[in-house]
Amino acid sequence: MSKEFTSLYPNYDVLKKWDTPSWNDITRAVIEKRLNEVPRRRFFTERQWVTLVAVCDRVMPQPDRSDPVPIAPWIDTRVYERQGTGTHYASLPPQQECWRHGMDAIEAEAQHRHRRPFDKLDPVEQDLILHAIEKNEVGSSAWDGLPSQNFFRHILLRAIVEVYYAHPAAWSEIGFGGPASPRGYVRLPENRRDPWEAEEHAAVAAQRLAAT
Amino acid sequence: MIGSERHLRATAGRAPDVFARGDWVPMRQFSDEEEVDFAIVGTGAGGATLAAKLAEAGFSVVALDAGPFWRPLEDFASDETEQNKLYWLQDRISGGSHPIEFGTNNSGCAVGGSTVHFQMVALRFRPEWFAQRSTMGYGRDWPIPWQEMWRYYEEVEDALKIAGPVNYPWGPPRGRYPYRAHEVNAAGLVLAKGAEAMGVKWAPTPLATVSAPRGKSPPCVYRGFCKIGCSTNAKQSALITYVPRALAAGAEIRDLAMAGQIEMGENNRARGVVYHRQGEWRRQRARNVVVAGYAIETPRLLLNSATAQHPSGLANSTGLVGKCLMAHSNHAVWGVMDDEIRWYKGPPSMAVCEHWNYEDKGKDFQGGYSFMSQGPLPADHAKGLVTNTGMFGMELRQRMALYNHMAGLKIVGEVEPREENRVELSDEKDELGLPVPRITFGFSENDKRLYKHALHFMRQALEAAGARDFTHTASTAHLMGTCRMGDDPADSVTNADGRTWDIPNLWICDGSLFPTCGGVNPSMTIYALAARVADRIKEMGARGEL
Amino acid sequence: MAKALEKAEEVLVSPRRGPPVSDETLVAAAAIGCVAACLFGLLSRRRRHARNHADPVAACADSLKDGAVVLAGSVLLDSAFEHFRGNFRNRAMYVAPTTAAVSLAAALNRNVPRPLRSGIFATGGTVGVAGLAFHAYNIMKRPGGLSWNNLFYAAPAIAPGAMVLSGFLGYAASHIEHAMERTGSERTRREVGPVLALLMAAGILGTVAEAALLHFRGAFHDPFMFVPVSLPPIAATSLAVAAVKPTEETIRASRWALTATAIAGVLGVAFHVYGVQRNMGGWRNWTQNLFVGPPIPAPPSFTGLAIAGLGVLRLLKQNEE
Repeated sequence: MSKEFTSLYPNYDVLKKWDTPSWNDITRAVIEKRLNEVPRRRFFTERQWVTLVAVCDRVMPQPDRSDPVPIAPWIDTRVYERQGTGTHYASLPPQQECWRHGMDAIEAEAQHRHRRPFDKLDPVEQDLILHAIEKNEVGSSAWDGLPSQNFFRHILLRAIVEVYYAHPAAWSEIGFGGPASPRGYVRLPENRRDPWEAEEHAAVAAQRLAAT
Repeated sequence: MIGSERHLRATAGRAPDVFARGDWVPMRQFSDEEEVDFAIVGTGAGGATLAAKLAEAGFSVVALDAGPFWRPLEDFASDETEQNKLYWLQDRISGGSHPIEFGTNNSGCAVGGSTVHFQMVALRFRPEWFAQRSTMGYGRDWPIPWQEMWRYYEEVEDALKIAGPVNYPWGPPRGRYPYRAHEVNAAGLVLAKGAEAMGVKWAPTPLATVSAPRGKSPPCVYRGFCKIGCSTNAKQSALITYVPRALAAGAEIRDLAMAGQIEMGENNRARGVVYHRQGEWRRQRARNVVVAGYAIETPRLLLNSATAQHPSGLANSTGLVGKCLMAHSNHAVWGVMDDEIRWYKGPPSMAVCEHWNYEDKGKDFQGGYSFMSQGPLPADHAKGLVTNTGMFGMELRQRMALYNHMAGLKIVGEVEPREENRVELSDEKDELGLPVPRITFGFSENDKRLYKHALHFMRQALEAAGARDFTHTASTAHLMGTCRMGDDPADSVTNADGRTWDIPNLWICDGSLFPTCGGVNPSMTIYALAARVADRIKEMGARGEL
Repeated sequence: MAKALEKAEEVLVSPRRGPPVSDETLVAAAAIGCVAACLFGLLSRRRRHARNHADPVAACADSLKDGAVVLAGSVLLDSAFEHFRGNFRNRAMYVAPTTAAVSLAAALNRNVPRPLRSGIFATGGTVGVAGLAFHAYNIMKRPGGLSWNNLFYAAPAIAPGAMVLSGFLGYAASHIEHAMERTGSERTRREVGPVLALLMAAGILGTVAEAALLHFRGAFHDPFMFVPVSLPPIAATSLAVAAVKPTEETIRASRWALTATAIAGVLGVAFHVYGVQRNMGGWRNWTQNLFVGPPIPAPPSFTGLAIAGLGVLRLLKQNEE
């Protein structure tokens, strides 16, 4: 598995469209808040918080960024404010209980395997634990009442990607057009782009595609 | 969240003008004590259509919706997180062998209902499906002949100015769609190439977004955020079509009004609706009550309205309320293309193949499915990827880096109506004290054979179109059944007009009525049913049979 | 045939994938190109109105040239915008606006020696024919082949026809001038008049076909969209009738219809400007709406054809006397 991230759009920054017809007032207001008003911790305990931050760092590693996209603060806010998803899976506890239980169980799993806190493990050890959780191969009894794979996929991973791919930096790195109203797009067929869309770095793209 | 403050907007004799920023249209209002002809619960494809047509026929109508009344131009951001405000995000307990994902996946909470976020795919049921048991030997018959339903499809397609192909390649000839089909985006052309390689037909998807100006709606700008609300007003949602019609004809729309119970009066007749608005419980008196809350909230409301005479809930003497919930199988194949596809441009599903809805040979299952090209927004796509594969780490980020080279095909697959798939009331209560619904869902062996057939076929098609490095995802879409209509009072909840067998002035008008679900998106069938129910009510009203 | 076309495409395909220039650059370049061509033509053109009405053939030739000017201008802007929309992904896509610019200059500048001018217009017409073939190929190779959607959204099948017509008008002007010098005015108009009128009628109907296709794509959402599919066919029919049976009445009727068509072409621009405004974001969002809204340079092709048709009528009028 690669350790590095390669963007096909190294020169693209969706925020450069801020003042163009691709962005409207409400979108600017929403994104401004997301960029400038990162919330503080209110829900998780200090220990759970440290675990969550470490998990986010492994699920969405950002070694290429000096200023990584914040993920844990937004999850904390979601859970604190009880922002639901509309689905309470019968196999899992209710939202707030589920998150506390999950963070405690990950920490317990680290202690169970290494007798060290999760956030102090090295990345390889952390990944192995997360893979075990993903495969329902956990050893700690702290997982009782919390099917680890269901929690991992439907609660934890889902929340992390929903937060990460809501950030303009994530839009830029994948070449997503980003906000588009009132202006949408003109050129729809393959390999065509509007002047206000990301330009792909042909050599990088060819290399990446050859590797798939 | 910006723009999501929960203030009443449809009040003080006015309602939001959906075509302007900050502007209003006049609205007639009724007092709670005034006995209106119709109190309608829900303003989606079923409720709004019915409200408009009944108000235009001169009936007094109050339509309640639990959600807010948006002005798309100023309220809808180009942002997935912000637009969560369009969905029903209250907890529903989801169990069974394939628990359904609710919220953003299938449940709207706004004036206009799920049509505010729907993907605008405007397909008709195949004619044979209306007599499925009689002609095809499985499923159930509908109590309405297909010719009549097809006439109503025509009516609602014109009301929504559906943009569809000049010649639709499947089924009996249909009149030309009111607006021309849109240009097919690159993601749709992948489907086209795949279908042509597999020797099956394809078509530009008939869509409820205009391809040319219509009144105050400009044509679609292909911004691709359809699933989280159209800020162009090109999408012909109920919010900008039937709702303004209803208001203009004198109906009252009450936003942020959550119905909790239907109140029964004397002589086995409903007396009105108990609803929560602005922090208090209120009662709207009505001669007729129509429930149009979609396939979860409709049975939830009926079950929660149990009385001594109706101990298992209203209209539930058969025990069928909440039973036979159907959610289309929504499985998909995704692959990587050498071409830049940039599937974020244009409506998500611009090309469709209904081959396996109309071809009965070569199947190891009963039922049909359509499949469509895909264009999920980043977080939505990532969510599907991680919840299905458990992928994380740099592998996930690298996979997402190929976002603009991805293409996907996804089915809308028919599932069998089975009683074990159901909606019930749990012991948990929501913040208003109403019982939280518990939903149980799973696929039958036949359902599984269907989606496996589809995955196999779509993978071949995608491969023929030049894709590789495939992933499969499993999901469900749409909610149907739970209050099925029929000809036999012992075997259905309502008659063909949506009138409940048990209570003559209690009606149902939404996707709950579906006896079977077909292999197409349900919105047009819900609209058509509502248009028909309205006409039937007008006829009955004229004959004094209400 | 398909092989040859593929080969041709291979040769002409540019490796570039993105749009070569920004919208701003394109619009500036198109505007400058158009203005430059006009200025060049106008500044270098000779005084001509004095002799205009003396001889019907000379007058007709002038009208044909005027028609060619309007058509070439329309083609220049329309093809530049449409090919820009297509990212100029084939080198061949530069040919149309370039040829149109040269034709425009040649049509405006009456000092260009006649053989050169004839050559330019013949080339323009030929490029137009090649364009028809390229566009047909583009349509056929897309999924769905010859389908309504490809006719709507692939390379516009009939659009290069305007270029053919512009070349034809310019070439016809040279031709009748030459014929007049060789055989005299009277014989030229007797021989050429009816044929030219019928060809003009056919040209108008071809342009009607394109407007009909695009207005059908727009679902005739505005009643005025029926104008270009009803008025020009009347003009074309009246012109054909006048060609076959040139009486005072038929010629007068045709003159009215052609004049109305010429005016409608100008009004069409105004309607299309309004049409762009009706798209999301209006003119503020011009980088999108200029390309997805109704094509502003297209309606004047009717004006160009009508002007030329009015000139041809003068040949017929003489016949009748």
